[in-house]
Amino acid sequence: MPLVDGLNQPVKAGPKEFEGLHLVPVPDEEKPAEALKWLDYYRKERRSLVMAMESCVKCGLCAEHCHTYLGTKDPNNIPAGRADLMRKVYKRYFTVQGKLFGKLVGAEEISMRTLEEWFSYYYQCTECRRCGHVCPFGIDTCEVTMIGRQILYNIGMIPKLHAATDVAILRTGNHMALTPSGIVDTLDFLSDEIEEERGFRIEFPVDKPNSDILYVPSSADFFLNPDTLKGAAEFFEYIGANWTISTRITEAGNFGYLSDQTRVQRELVNRVWEEVARLGVKKVVWGECGHGWRAAKMYIPTMSDYPTRMRVPITHILDEVAAYIKAGKLKLNPKNNFRAQGLPVTLHDPCNYARACGLVENLRVDLYASVTEVREMNPNREKTFCCGGGSGVLFDDPEMYQLRIKFSQKKADMIRATGAKVLCAPCSICKAQFHAMIPEHKLDVKLYGLIDLVGAALDFKGHRQV
Amino acid sequence: MKYFLVQILPYFTVALFLGGIVWRIWRWMIARIVHNITLSPFPSNWVAAILWILWQMVFFWNVLKFDPWLWVGAWPMHVALFSILGGHVLGIYTLGTQFHLLFPWLITEAQSEHASEFLGTFFGIIFFVALVYLLVRRLTLTRMKVLSSTSDYLHLLLLLAISGVGNYMRLVEGAGVTYAEARTFLAGLFTFNPQPFPDNWFFFTHFLLVQLLMIVFPFSKLMHSFGIMWERWIVNRPYKEAPLGLPGVKLRLD
Ligand code: HEM
Ligand code: SF4
Ligand code: SF4
Ligand code: SF4
Repeated sequence: MPLVDGLNQPVKAGPKEFEGLHLVPVPDEEKPAEALKWLDYYRKERRSLVMAMESCVKCGLCAEHCHTYLGTKDPNNIPAGRADLMRKVYKRYFTVQGKLFGKLVGAEEISMRTLEEWFSYYYQCTECRRCGHVCPFGIDTCEVTMIGRQILYNIGMIPKLHAATDVAILRTGNHMALTPSGIVDTLDFLSDEIEEERGFRIEFPVDKPNSDILYVPSSADFFLNPDTLKGAAEFFEYIGANWTISTRITEAGNFGYLSDQTRVQRELVNRVWEEVARLGVKKVVWGECGHGWRAAKMYIPTMSDYPTRMRVPITHILDEVAAYIKAGKLKLNPKNNFRAQGLPVTLHDPCNYARACGLVENLRVDLYASVTEVREMNPNREKTFCCGGGSGVLFDDPEMYQLRIKFSQKKADMIRATGAKVLCAPCSICKAQFHAMIPEHKLDVKLYGLIDLVGAALDFKGHRQV
Repeated sequence: MKYFLVQILPYFTVALFLGGIVWRIWRWMIARIVHNITLSPFPSNWVAAILWILWQMVFFWNVLKFDPWLWVGAWPMHVALFSILGGHVLGIYTLGTQFHLLFPWLITEAQSEHASEFLGTFFGIIFFVALVYLLVRRLTLTRMKVLSSTSDYLHLLLLLAISGVGNYMRLVEGAGVTYAEARTFLAGLFTFNPQPFPDNWFFFTHFLLVQLLMIVFPFSKLMHSFGIMWERWIVNRPYKEAPLGLPGVKLRLD
């Protein structure tokens, strides 16, 4: 249903998904009024929303810094324009100037058309926060997008992709609806592969009681990025960790964070603490996922209802690896890196790491120690551009897919300019996007995560098994 | 009518201006900062965070870094604006002797009056030119045209009108009023002891437009002057990292 009133939209969820989410959608004719009630609620609840609504001066600075506007030249994809879709309604109902002067100050009544626009443009924003980084006031349009999506969710306007993933989260604790037996089978198979590659076997402990470390991988890794799982196992094996993967929280990402923060996001938060208690875990180590790490690092502390004494520290595997490298405890041999194979590597800074999690320098500590040649992209670090797939806009319907290509144009140009042959993207959604976009932009690169490359450089000679 | 506009309305204007600002900020404060959504690299503590916010406010750092062509107009416009505001308060209160009062051993009263005169003219012109630049930018760039509503142009036009009349009074011999005349009248307002309004239509227009600006201010995007602090308080705050090092491993960090 890609085009609604001339708007690009992903396919919407239907009765089947609503049932799985225990959600009663609001009838169409009541949607605008209901959305308005939610907007009134969130403006009194989230200061980040009020400030975004009330402090923009329309200076236009953010326009040329958003990859979605650069790729489409659609005014509604200017961060301030995207926020305006909500701001015009906000002004009309919740400000003096909007009530008195209406159109003159850009205020407008809410209608079904407004909501269709929200649905279109809040699912074209990849929540990459580049606008927040560049705006003189720090206005973070990502916050507007999140509230916009939440309101749409509450009234029953959800992309089928997100709704189906949310249903899978509630049912299985991961995005891909992996079952415990499926998880064990895949990991067993990966152990076989490691044995072929290295000549010795590394096991993936699953649901092992009394584990010290709970590793939370991205479920997409089971299908798309097996090397990321293998790399993590190689690292844990190397340091002799008592670690495990839980079948109840096999998800480093969090689609709830991207569509419904009130219930679905919380489901994954609670599963972490349940599994920590069940398996006697002392530390949780997060796998590669940009938005997922943000959801874990920045949201779990304030979102979880679990008492503090039941919580344990949560860190990222790439931070832990960097600490080991800095302490000189890992023997890494870049020349023998059988994944990078001596080719020049470029690093894609996932926006969520760079602008929301402070994970920038440690990525470099890990990468520079593991491969022979790194070619930095420009711009990089906090100024990185999004891959164009962020916040789960990985839609396959033709119009939205075309947009994904446009959104990734900027990134593709940057990758090409480095001349690198390996693209390191330490984020699950970035990887999913790049798997599809590398052929679309005819890029000549192989795709890996970062722990994949670290694992492949680990020198096991004289260490433990070899 | 004129009596109402110059002797009575100002009290309502000031009440609306101050009350409006407090009311707007109160509305911001109702809502909570629910999660720590600071932008990284994180400031290491609150002092660093506040210094960063001040740095942004004083230099418009992000504008300079990410859109230098905007900065060329935006920063001089604001610097001139604040200089003019300061100049109005000090110049009228001290009748142009503010620099003498500050550095009596260095600057004579006459020199101070000259400096006040010169700076006023200088910033007045910068302010006007920068506003014209910003208006032209808004009228010509595609992204600005699609983003702007009528009110965005009107704000610029209002400021242009105020500064246009102000500059006219300064630059045209005999068109304006003296510091002393203005001070007598304003002192009357402040002490609730009405004094005659200077007989000058330019001054009347200037005075009225400023009142309009003050009435509009709390109910417009001009509140960004306070908004910047409240917004950055959300996105520029410290974050405490969890300690690294893994439990129960054979190869330990330390
Ligand atoms: C601490 C105080 C203030 C700060 C940090 C600040 C900062 C900024 C910034 C960063 C911009 C965006 C760049 C631009 O478009 O020029 C801006 C725009 C603007 N500011 Fe301020 N501002 C402050 C106070 C004021 C005040 C008191 C006024 C007027 C009474 C004002 C009037 C404007 C106007 C009219 C614009 C829009 C310019 C345009 O249309 O392009 N500002 N301000
Ligand atoms: S940079 Fe900030 S203030 Fe300027 S238009 Fe964009 S959101 Fe508004
Ligand atoms: S978060 Fe990213 S995609 Fe969304 S408006 Fe801001 S810059 Fe654009
Ligand atoms: S998908 Fe990757 S690049 Fe895009 S927003 Fe997420 S972390 Fe950023």
